[in-house]
Amino acid sequence: MGWRLVKRDTPLPGGQVRAFAVGLLLALVLGSILLLAAGHNPLSTYQRMLDASFGSLREISTTLDRAVPLGLAGLAVAVAGSMGLWNIGAEGQIIAGAIAAAWVARLAPDLNGFSLITLMLLASVVGGALLALGPALARAQLGVSEIITTLMLNEVAIRIVRYLVNGPWKDPLSFGFPAAPELPDQAALPDLYQRSNIGLLIAAVVIAVFGWLAARSRWGYELRLAGSSERAAQYVGISLKSKVLTVLVLSGAFAGLAGGILLTGSSDRLVEGVGGGFGYAGIIVAALALMRPSGVAAVAVAFGAVQVGGLAIETQGVPAAIADILQGLILFGALTAAVFGNYRLVRGSADADTTETADPVDESAGTESIGTDLPGEIAGGPA
Amino acid sequence: MLAVELENIWKRFPGVVANAGASLTVKAGSVHAVLGENGAGKTTLMNVLAGVYQPDKGTVRLHGEQQRFTKPADAIAAGVGMVHQEFRLVPTFTVAENVVLGAAPMRISKADLERQVGELAERFGLATDPAQEIWQLSMGERQRVEILKALWREARVLILDEPTAVLTPSEAEELGRITATMAEDGRSIIFISHKLDEVTAFCDEATVLRGGTTVASSLDVADLNAAMLAELMVGQATAVSQRRERANTPGEVALTARDITVRDLHGRNVVDGVSVQIRSGEIVGLAGVAGNGQRPLADALAGLTTSTGTIKMGIHDLTKATPNDRHRRGLSYVPEDRIGVGLAPRLSVTDNAIMRAYRLLARGPIIDREGAADFADELVEQFNVKVARMDQPIAGLSGGNLQRLLVGREVDGQPTVLIAAQPTRGLDVQGVAAIQRVLLEQAETGVGILLISEDLDELLALSDRLLVMHEGHIVGEFDPDLSTRADVGVAMTGAGVA
Repeated sequence: MGWRLVKRDTPLPGGQVRAFAVGLLLALVLGSILLLAAGHNPLSTYQRMLDASFGSLREISTTLDRAVPLGLAGLAVAVAGSMGLWNIGAEGQIIAGAIAAAWVARLAPDLNGFSLITLMLLASVVGGALLALGPALARAQLGVSEIITTLMLNEVAIRIVRYLVNGPWKDPLSFGFPAAPELPDQAALPDLYQRSNIGLLIAAVVIAVFGWLAARSRWGYELRLAGSSERAAQYVGISLKSKVLTVLVLSGAFAGLAGGILLTGSSDRLVEGVGGGFGYAGIIVAALALMRPSGVAAVAVAFGAVQVGGLAIETQGVPAAIADILQGLILFGALTAAVFGNYRLVRGSADADTTETADPVDESAGTESIGTDLPGEIAGGPA
Repeated sequence: MLAVELENIWKRFPGVVANAGASLTVKAGSVHAVLGENGAGKTTLMNVLAGVYQPDKGTVRLHGEQQRFTKPADAIAAGVGMVHQEFRLVPTFTVAENVVLGAAPMRISKADLERQVGELAERFGLATDPAQEIWQLSMGERQRVEILKALWREARVLILDEPTAVLTPSEAEELGRITATMAEDGRSIIFISHKLDEVTAFCDEATVLRGGTTVASSLDVADLNAAMLAELMVGQATAVSQRRERANTPGEVALTARDITVRDLHGRNVVDGVSVQIRSGEIVGLAGVAGNGQRPLADALAGLTTSTGTIKMGIHDLTKATPNDRHRRGLSYVPEDRIGVGLAPRLSVTDNAIMRAYRLLARGPIIDREGAADFADELVEQFNVKVARMDQPIAGLSGGNLQRLLVGREVDGQPTVLIAAQPTRGLDVQGVAAIQRVLLEQAETGVGILLISEDLDELLALSDRLLVMHEGHIVGEFDPDLSTRADVGVAMTGAGVA
């Protein structure tokens, strides 16, 4: 006797939204236990979080500004994920994008604002793509796991930026603080409203266009087909090698753009912490969007709000750890909810017949790959 | 002395009776062949003996003692070892580590372990290097490691499930010597095979299964001949099959494949210089025991695997064409693996329906959604696929519905040639009839069909010509009107016609 998960014939409709809502609810309930234990009033804490993220236009603009790198990094992970690939290297690609953009500003500091920013953002796209190129080639040509290579390149990118801001690019006027010199004034992205800048529009357009292409184009269809079954994709003559290559490089390019926007929008100089953890948060955003590029924008805004709210309650004396735990709980709850979109919980003994039915099938099912299967599983929700 | 006695074993799975009163007796110190066509219940019976399945009814005795295995570990403890077709080894562990995995002495040095495994291997003539890692080994060597695993656990009864399927001829001979050594040591070896020459060369006795029951037990292999064995294995036709009316005039040559050779990862020629010609409007049947090269041949024709030789359709040389180009030239393929190759399990009915047509349904880079939906609706209706919702993932559909969707998609748009691999396997009676009807209709309209099947009745009923494949070669061609199941069965075992 006991509980068992049984796969639904058809996933629950509206899984994506429902997953996030249920996850949020679960997190708030569990979080209030934590907050009570720490001696804080959960309701006023949550009220504070809400105010800080959506309280007024100014707060909303802060949340949206935060959502820009989250959304682009999420798009990077989701594009790869819709084909069953894991780009864990968005963090490094963000850094590479920022380095490339900063380099352009060093080379041509006297260009006018429009040209300089355009070149910097283009450079950031190339920078992110270049960092992803190695893992893409290794995966496409040799089948080397992109999970490992992209993850390890994060460390490489962090070392490079550390070397630059401590060495050749170090600002002599920074009083020993490891940072590159200030960017030229005209290299700052124009403001849009309060805390948001033009980067919000750029990210929104990029996410909308690629979200739409992934859902509606031949290219997107081929990605989903290859993500569902590589052999089925081969069967209709899709070249997996070139798909893997282009998708991973494109994924790196999106993350690189996030780096460029972070540098030109939110920062006045290149520093070691330019990545800000957005690359890793992007994995969470993509997972919550069920690896669907069209879903990352909404998730990024919601996740941005949680982050902004989390920062706000820290100033009220709530430990930073609890704010982090709340974020973790939301992810955990939403992913659990996503599972129940595809599975039902039933009570009953695993009676003899049902277990044995599974047995003869077992042997063939066991040969499926595990490593690359997960994004697809997550993406198995309603279309 | 009887080592194994299986009596009146029944085992049901939902919708299938795998064993219906099967029995088997094996003497100690002998090599015993278990024969039967696919689906005869051999593997189920062996899994009962190995403790993987619990029989619904029947008794299992080992060396005279009745046994009740509830898990494989019970059978192992009682001295039953099984070498499965798919090896269960850890590629990055050494031979010695794999052999003792889960059954290692508490404290032992690596050197001692390797020495002990080496001694065991030497005793039975299983040439292996205990220090080598599995990934470096050939299939034959890996199989020896599996046998060593069983011997390390002191197996007195060793089941080898189609052990020669993955071996080169010289490795197979080597295996024959190893089984003889083990039998001399008083152990019993159960040898599952389809191949007559191996059975007569390596085994002492043979038991034949058909339809889940034992039709001949403990025959002396010296008394066997190819015709008898084939007759025992394939039996008589169960019913008078409806033979199709055949057109007297075969059409023009639609596809010519010459000298097709496919090499597997281990350098074996799994398809070895096969030439096939398919005329429009004819159904060419391809018979053979599973694993004799039918699947790689079909994959090679469809362009899914690299091969040497030439493939032509009409004036077009498709030897180097991609799967997509071949399809554009009119070559359709219903692969053996419906889900995973022919269909993508997590995609919707619509997405699966447009797998061939999505390029045509696109305006520029964008797929026309309405066009795709209309196309899918039409296909589903025409081929009577029952779906709840078009956006439901196809993984929830029944086998018959899946196959109607797949076959329907492949015959859509009038192919020139259709390769259908095991198109009716696993379907219920109505499902089989529906698919067969589609194949016959297609042949009627001039499609040339290569029908690969393990169902001899189906092949004899539908085919205009019947080819038999054995170990990568075409070993015979039959006229279905003038041939019996036994004739074809003999060729399938690789004896007689050569």
